[in-house]
Amino acid sequence: MITNNRQSKSNETLMQAVFFMSALISVIAVLAICLFLLMRGIPAIGEIGFLDFIFSEKWGPTNTPASYGILSMIVGSIYVTAGAIVIGVPIGLLCAIFLAEFCPERLYKIVKPAVNLLAGIPSIIFGFFGMEIIVPFVREAYGGNGFSIMSSSIILGIMILPTIISISESSIRAVPESYKEGSYGVGATKEETVFKVVVPAAKSGIFTSIILGIGRAIGETMAVVMVAGNAVMPLSKIKLLKPIRTLTTNIVMEMSYASGLHEESLIATGVVLFVFIIILNTALSLIKARTNRN
Amino acid sequence: MDKINNLNYEFKGETIKMKKTKKLVGIITLVLMLSFVLMGCTQTDNKETPNNTENQNTPNNTNTEAPNFDSKKDITVVARDSASGTRGAFHEIMKIKVKEGDTEVDKLVVGALEFDGTDKVITAVEGDKYAIGYISLGSVSNRITAAKVDGVEPTVANVISGDYTVSRPFLLVTKGEESELVKDFIEFTQSKQGQDITNEMKFVGAAESPAEYAASGLSGTIKVAGSTSVTPLMEKLQEAYTALNPGVTFEMQSNGSSQGIKAAMDGSYDIGMSSRELKDEEASELNRHVLAIDGIAVIINNENPVNDLSSENITDIYTGEKTTWAEVQ
Repeated sequence: MITNNRQSKSNETLMQAVFFMSALISVIAVLAICLFLLMRGIPAIGEIGFLDFIFSEKWGPTNTPASYGILSMIVGSIYVTAGAIVIGVPIGLLCAIFLAEFCPERLYKIVKPAVNLLAGIPSIIFGFFGMEIIVPFVREAYGGNGFSIMSSSIILGIMILPTIISISESSIRAVPESYKEGSYGVGATKEETVFKVVVPAAKSGIFTSIILGIGRAIGETMAVVMVAGNAVMPLSKIKLLKPIRTLTTNIVMEMSYASGLHEESLIATGVVLFVFIIILNTALSLIKARTNRN
Repeated sequence: MDKINNLNYEFKGETIKMKKTKKLVGIITLVLMLSFVLMGCTQTDNKETPNNTENQNTPNNTNTEAPNFDSKKDITVVARDSASGTRGAFHEIMKIKVKEGDTEVDKLVVGALEFDGTDKVITAVEGDKYAIGYISLGSVSNRITAAKVDGVEPTVANVISGDYTVSRPFLLVTKGEESELVKDFIEFTQSKQGQDITNEMKFVGAAESPAEYAASGLSGTIKVAGSTSVTPLMEKLQEAYTALNPGVTFEMQSNGSSQGIKAAMDGSYDIGMSSRELKDEEASELNRHVLAIDGIAVIINNENPVNDLSSENITDIYTGEKTTWAEVQ
């Protein structure tokens, strides 16, 4: 008996160490990335000058004298992401409501795997699809040359659908049955119940899904680089049907060739992107904290 | 009692309603899907009709070869990313990048598309009737049309004779004294066999009187890094070289001219490949071997009736002075 006990105890400590190590590895990874970005990015920002880096729209790393302003790309990232939200959130949310509340069993068996499959499609495929289908479509239907904020927004809007649908759906499903019964009890119709009781009750989950969607959209690279046109536009010339460069595409476009301060400035672009992600994550934990309090 | 009856009645109504809503939602989704599909059709139809009528109204103005080509539409300018070797060479030759005293400014028109690879430039030009781009002559295919520049056809023969002026050297660079093996390989690239491969790949061999190469029987590893444009040619050369000298292996990294030059300078690789001319501070440290001359082709869509561009026009298009094909003709 005693040896058995001892064995299980030592087993327990061993497993505890394994779990602890696993947890530690992800923490180390995050810290290492932070350190790398800050150590190489911050000096570059210092050398370029914070104001010249963030608030200048002139990007000319191969000119002499070189200029490294990324304002156009910050604005570009924001526009493209906003466009993705405008397209992705209504469709995703309505799809989630449909799946959770209205969908017949047989249809569910088709739609749900389709949504999951959408999540698994590699982004380069989305980019290819965008370049061959969406870009010509935008060109024919709306004018311009097709490589534009609009094309990028459409592609990203489709790409964030799975995130929004699956998280919203599960949060809608998690609304207690009693809420609905109460609503029916006072004579509300199914639609009234869903839209005025269930969806508001699932609010925090839905916001979470939207924020994760924003995170995905702002960080997406391979698909955007193929449809955005990647031109650095002065702020006054940014239009829905004109090309745009985002923070992520700026990095991937020039990283392979860049050297010296040019390369550092691309890492600094990564720092700015990182700040965006931190802001999003903070918003996420604020929402979670509020839900827990309620 | 009355109230309860009422409630029951309502509940029945509710369940019936629910079934109806399910059906309704189903029908609505179907209708939506269908309308999306139809919308796509009608929109393209709409686009085509005004184009056609326009051309019918002005049959004399537009070229008869391309009835669907509206030369009053904006040119889609396609360029490479600002760090590419092809871009560096092209923008310099075409005076898009202008040196004024100490400053050097790339005057590429605002809104020009930029892509980080030859394949994407080709796809973009292939898909857009009004597009213009530039790629290495070796990558030209029938997906796009390579335009004449100043009346000269972009062919290997014209690059050799010097008539086609839009070209740049492919360089191999090494640092310090070369090992016997590296020397032998570079000799091979300059030999008759090496130059034949180069010409086969639609590049122009640079050696003036290439000698026959005889296998040396050396063995070892050669590490090569650099330009993505040179890579395809390099792979063919290495294949042929290892066939003659089976003891030799290659380590290849295709990561861009600047990286290749850097790698050769710090000694981490034996040979650096570059598709651009060396900067002064690089040239002073390295041995420079011209591997080949590569023409840069100006490419346009197959439906574009224009097939001859003057270099002034190319400069004007890329700097935004001229924005439609009508101005170029």
